[in-house]
Formats: sequence, C-alpha cells, structure tokens
Amino acid sequence: MEHPFNRILWVTTLLFLCQILGGCPSFRIDRINDGEVIKPLPQELAVGKTTLADVLSFYGAPSDIMDMQGHFSLHYQRTFYRGGQFSLGIPLSDVFKISPTFDAAGNLKRYDEAIFIFTPNGILSKMAYEKGSDYPLWKTYWQ
Amino acid sequence: MGLLILIILLSGCAVIGRGKDFRSFDEQNLTQIKPGQTTASEITKMFGPPSQIVKLSNGNAYIYNRSLSKVTGIWLILVTLVNYDTQHDRIVFFINQSDIVTHYGSSFKSDSAAYGTPF
Repeated sequence: MEHPFNRILWVTTLLFLCQILGGCPSFRIDRINDGEVIKPLPQELAVGKTTLADVLSFYGAPSDIMDMQGHFSLHYQRTFYRGGQFSLGIPLSDVFKISPTFDAAGNLKRYDEAIFIFTPNGILSKMAYEKGSDYPLWKTYWQ
Repeated sequence: MGLLILIILLSGCAVIGRGKDFRSFDEQNLTQIKPGQTTASEITKMFGPPSQIVKLSNGNAYIYNRSLSKVTGIWLILVTLVNYDTQHDRIVFFINQSDIVTHYGSSFKSDSAAYGTPF
C-alpha cells in the first residue's frame, strides 16, 4: 500500500510545478482565412472564346482588377494563414533579477488564386489557377 | 488527480468577436441594372460611392466591397487557439467611355463567415 506521505509529496510537487510553470510555457496556434474557396477552372472556359461576362457569371466579382495597358485582368484570391508560436519563460526576476525566455515562432501564408487576362474588348486571352491551400502545411513550411 | 490536472489545463477564457467593414450598398438594386443602358451616375445613386475605381483603357471599373470577420479565441494556461474568418460581399461594374455599364458581377459571401477552431 502506498505510504500517505508519498502521495502528499507527489501532490505537493505537482502543485508546486504548476505554480512555477503555470503561464510560463505556452503554445499558440492561429488560423486566418480571408475569402471564399476559389473554384477550379471549368472546362467550358476557353482562351479566345470565353468573354468577360462568362467569367463574371461563373466566378462573380473579383478580389482585384488591374489595367494592363490595353488588356486587363481579374484576380480571384483567397489567403490562408497558419501560424504557431511556442514560448517558455521562467519568472525568476523576483529572485535573480532575470527571467530567461525562449520563443519560437513560424507562419505560412498560402494562396488560392485564379487570374483571367482579357483583351480590351473583353475576350479571355490567358488564365491561370493555383490552389495553394492544398500544399501540406509542415512540408511546405520547411521546403 | 486526473480531474485536478484537467481543471488546471482547461482553466482559461474564451472570446468570440465579430468585425464588420460596412458599406451600405443594397444587393436588391442589382435587379435594376441593365447592361448597355444603366449609366455610371445611376450606379452611384443606387450603390453610393464605390470602394475603389480602376481606370481601364476603355473605361472604368467600379468596385464595391464590404466584409464580415468572425474571431474565435480560446486561452488556456498552456495553449492559445485563435481562428479568424473573413468573407466579402463584392460588386463590380465595368463602365465604358460613354459612362454606360457594359458588364457587372457580384459575390455575396459575408454570411458564410464562421466561428471555429484553427484545426
């Protein structure tokens, strides 16, 4: 049978550790999404045939419009941010006048994008699409 | 003992928040837009001043934008989890050099902004 003193010692040690470390080590995870999911390019869209009205009808209003000195482009964009931070600090300033801390942080911003470039009379001349949020978080961050 | 550890780990606070980048345009007015007929001044009368005007070689684009953000945060002793979701309502009008609307497009997604976790 466990000696009562051992149990008291164990609980006291745990409470002491919680008191010392409580609030000192911390881990933060952020997720920030801006915009809706951008649909992949449908097969019906064709360079030289598709019109501005077709793209507006399928994708709606773009995030941005740019003049390209005659041509113009529509940008559809969603940003997807993931961030993490680990902090470890030992509050010793009352005793030793210093409080050592260690912070490690990282973040990754990925983009889902579709871009359509039109001739001055509104005919699609180029288009591109990428779904950045499909890239794996950890591998993409370190590569 | 397990309960004690759970209480220590879970004692914290939570927050939910909502932020709105408001513009008063009314999507119902889109039913009155007739490409080839509606003028730029009618657009500004119905929708107010645009958020942005883009100069194009054969006219202008009027962009109307507003957004809704929802924030969820949980602060525990050791872990903080924060989630932001922002969605937009957008209308764009293409206006030719005669100040007539030639095309328009719209997306209304702000209602889909959601509270959630970062996972």
